[in-house]
Order: sequence, then structure tokens, then C-alpha cells
Amino acid sequence: MMKTCLKLLGKLALAALAFFVVTFTVYFFNLDMKATALLAPWLEKWYDHLEHNQYL
Amino acid sequence: MNKIRGDIHYGNLYKDGAVVRKRREWRGLTDTLYDYSRWLGIMAILAKFIIKPRNIKAMLRYRWMANYLAVPMMVDRHTQGLRGEYLRICHTEQDLIIDDVAKLLDNLFRGDRRIGNDTEFSKKVVLVDENEMTAVMMGFPTLKGLSRETPSTYVSVLLNQHAAVHYIDVAQQFGLAGDVCPMPEAEAGVSIDDDAPILGACAVQCNTTCDGSLLSNGVISRRLENVDGIPVFQLAAPLRHREDDVQEYAAQEIRNAIEFIEKHTGEKWDWAHYFECARRVNYATRCRLEWLEMNKTPYPQVFGSNLALYTETNYMAICGKIPAFEKADRKISQLAQRAYEKKKMAAREYRHRAIIWGVQSHFYMDFLVWLLNCWGIVPLTDMLSMVSTRELVTEDTPENREQAYYDMAWLTENMIMRNRTHGGYKVLLDELWEFTQEFNADMVILWEHMSCKALDGMHGMFEERARQLGIHLVWVSHDLFDPRIISRQGVRDQINNYMRTVMQEEPVDPTLEILHDEESW
Repeated sequence: MMKTCLKLLGKLALAALAFFVVTFTVYFFNLDMKATALLAPWLEKWYDHLEHNQYL
Repeated sequence: MNKIRGDIHYGNLYKDGAVVRKRREWRGLTDTLYDYSRWLGIMAILAKFIIKPRNIKAMLRYRWMANYLAVPMMVDRHTQGLRGEYLRICHTEQDLIIDDVAKLLDNLFRGDRRIGNDTEFSKKVVLVDENEMTAVMMGFPTLKGLSRETPSTYVSVLLNQHAAVHYIDVAQQFGLAGDVCPMPEAEAGVSIDDDAPILGACAVQCNTTCDGSLLSNGVISRRLENVDGIPVFQLAAPLRHREDDVQEYAAQEIRNAIEFIEKHTGEKWDWAHYFECARRVNYATRCRLEWLEMNKTPYPQVFGSNLALYTETNYMAICGKIPAFEKADRKISQLAQRAYEKKKMAAREYRHRAIIWGVQSHFYMDFLVWLLNCWGIVPLTDMLSMVSTRELVTEDTPENREQAYYDMAWLTENMIMRNRTHGGYKVLLDELWEFTQEFNADMVILWEHMSCKALDGMHGMFEERARQLGIHLVWVSHDLFDPRIISRQGVRDQINNYMRTVMQEEPVDPTLEILHDEESW
């Protein structure tokens, strides 16, 4: 029982470490903003082709 | 020179011509980990928002929604160079504002006829202007006062400097003048372009700041009433707000607005809730006064973006209605007090103490951070943060119920910007010089919003008085929402030129002097 608990804790610690390494890398190297900057021009094109009921 | 952990040359984080920065700032181990934890928190707010299918639908429907991709970068801009308590104050404010705007968007799309189309919810919504005190909603706990202009234009430009450009062009394509303030023009552009959510039992517009704002309200209310079938009340608050003889009329306008909302929503004004909100408004006022008092000393604590952005939100949009802001006020005061007792400084060097006056450039709100980091100019306070400090009545008595109408009218008359750009010579000019003395400032940075007719005529009067008092007056021209007229570097150049030629100084951080951030969000 103790061994299973330790194993589980070890896996949890490993998962937490992996989460930290991945997310901290994304955070520090600004990868989230770099990725969204790539997405922005595609969204612009999408909005340009939408039909709008313009009205003054 | 004050020691700052981690990066000290912030210009190195920029890449010429890029939309985003090379990397985030290293602030020393503790502060970097703190900033990282807050970034995770912001990501969680954004994930919680976008996980709802109706919000994805809205993202694909409304052009201005794309700006919300830049939320984390906006926070990075405003936290630049901040450590310790200053970083924590900034996150306490910004994270709460992000959460509040996410809820606003979620509510807008829930009721929006094109997106969520929750008709029962929509019947409980009252649309309000972005540039309007929301005091008339303080006694309606079961209603939602939602602003469409806040997320579509106001916040969008904070996120992405180019956000309003499309809508300004649309407004001008339809014949609206090109030399009016780009803020109301962009708001009108959103309406003309059919890019505003459609919801609500009714709407309340206010004759907020200027002729441009009135023009915009006209365009928006035409569509609301004629096309969408949403009745609109025009709350016309007096412009000469310091005059006693206008107050009775102003209070009557508030009574009329409340009656209009009751009629169209079927809800009744709740005095207990009003006085509860008024108590929170008073608490926010006391905290703001406490921060301003600290800023008069050699150790200012809540200043620059930390004061300006938070005051705009808390004073005008929140107006005591959301308890979370009271908790934030308390936390900010505690952090500021702690830093003050330790005589802490927010930057490496304080060279000049400045009052920031005029209407600030919205596409470059982090200019205040830049002033501090690049030239050691401490932005002690700004015009938009010098709003009403009057205490509201909070005890529920028949006399106080009558006084409450006057209090709400006073707040509405004294909304941000309007309380200085209108109301006479004293509020715009005389009080500026009183503040420079109170705050022991040696410099005034005077934003010259080139499309703002209310301020442009005063140019010579400002210069004359500054000369008499021996205050360094630095003009910074800009066009509020439109970076194509004067770019961010164009704004910075005006300071750089003054500091090098008149002051004969070298920058604290030379890497920030020239930045090629024209394409940046």
C-alpha cells in the first residue's frame, strides 16, 4: 500500500514537473504570444469575407 | 541608484518590426515565478472563457474579438520593470479587470441575438455607454448594466494599438468627419459595421465628453431604436458641473433615467442595494486618496498605469457594484503601505516628478511605464485619476434618499475626463497648478489629443502659466485611438527631444529610447 502511494506521488511529482517545464518554457520565451501572432492574419482574412449589414 | 533584480535593459526584449517580444522579462527568481503564476491564472481565465461554444462563435463573428488574443501581452507591457509590491499591485488590478471583462463579454454573448440569444437574460440587460458613470445601475441588483463599447473599442485598443483602425475607416467611408475624436468615431464605426452585439431591454446613453461623443451616440441610438427595437434614454448631465444651480436639473435627469429603466425592465429601484454600493464607492475613494497622499511624498507607491487604468475601471465602470474590487482596494493599500514603510522605489532612478495632464493616448497606455523606465520620470498622477473625492451618503433615511439622487448626478457629471475637460477654466487649468504644488512636481507632461476640441484652445494658457511657475511643460501630441497619425515612437520622440535638448540628460535605459514597435500589438 505504502509502495503504491509512493509510486503515485512520484508520478504526480513527475507530471507536475513536466507541466512546469513545458508551461514555463512557453511563458518565458513568449511562445503563447508568438503562436497567436501567427493566427491573427488568418482571422483578419476571415473577418474580411463576412457579410455585414452596414447602416448609418 | 536603486537596485533592480534581473533584466534592466528592457529595449532588448523587443524585436524590430515584430508583433510580439522576443521573450518575457527576467525579474529575479521570486518575482519571475510570481509573474509566471499570474500568467497561468490569466491563461485559466481565457481558457474558461473560450471553452464555451457561444464564445467561439462570437470570436468568429466579431472582428474586435481577435484583439483579445493579446491579453497576456497587455499585462507584460504594464508590468515592465516592476518588481516586488509594484508587480503585485499591478497583477491584483489587471487580473481582476481581465476577469471582469471576460464576464462582461460572456454576458454580452449570452444575450446577443446573433450568438447566445438568451431572451430571458436579455430582458434583464440595460446597455450603458463606455464613457458613462454607471451610478444609475447601483440600485438595480437584478439587472445587468452592460457596455458594448467597452470591449469592442476601449479595451481592444489597450490590447492592440491597431484595433480601432478598421472601424475609424468604416465611419469615415460613411461620411463622418475625419477630424473628430477617434474614440467615439470608432464606436460609431462598430455600430455602422454591424459589429455590436444586439441585446438588452433598453439602453442609457450619456452626453459624456464632447461633440464627437454626442455624434457617436446619435449614430448608435439610431440603429438601436430603428433597427434593433431597443429604446434609448439620453441622460444629459450638465457640463458646468461645479455650478450649484445645475445640480437640481442633474438630479432630475437621474430620476428620469431610473424611471425609464424601471418602465422597460419591470424592475424596481432597491435602496438597500444602492446604499451598499455607495459604501463601497466611498471605500474606493478613501483608498485612492490614501494612494495620492503617498504620491505627494518622496516615496510614491500607486502611480503610473497602476493608478490610471485601475481608477478608470473602478470609479466609472464598477461604481461600487462589484464587491471583488473592494477586496482589491484593500490589498493594494496593504501592499502600498508595506512598500512605503520600507521607502521602496519602483525603478532604478527617480529624476523628475511629473503630473500627467490631458487626455492620454489610448493606443499607448503603457507610455507611463516607459517614462519611468527610460527617463526616470515618475508619473505621480494623471488627469483621469483626479476625479470626485466627495463622500456619498450611505444611511437609508428619507433625506438621504433625496440626497442620493444628487450624489448619483454628481458622479455622472464628474465622470472620468469630462470632470476636467468640461466645467470651466478652474478644473482644467487652475487645479493643475495646484496639483503640481501639492505633489511637489517639477514637470507636467501634457497630452495634446489633436482631435480633442475641448483642450486644443487652451494651449497658450498652459504655456504661459508653466513659464510663470518655472515648471517644465512637455507637450505630447497624439490622436488617441489612431496610431497612424502619430506612432508610439512619434510619442516617445517628443519626450526624447525635450529630455536631450532642454534638460540635457541621458536616458536611464538607453535601449528604450527608440523602439521599432509600429507593427506591435
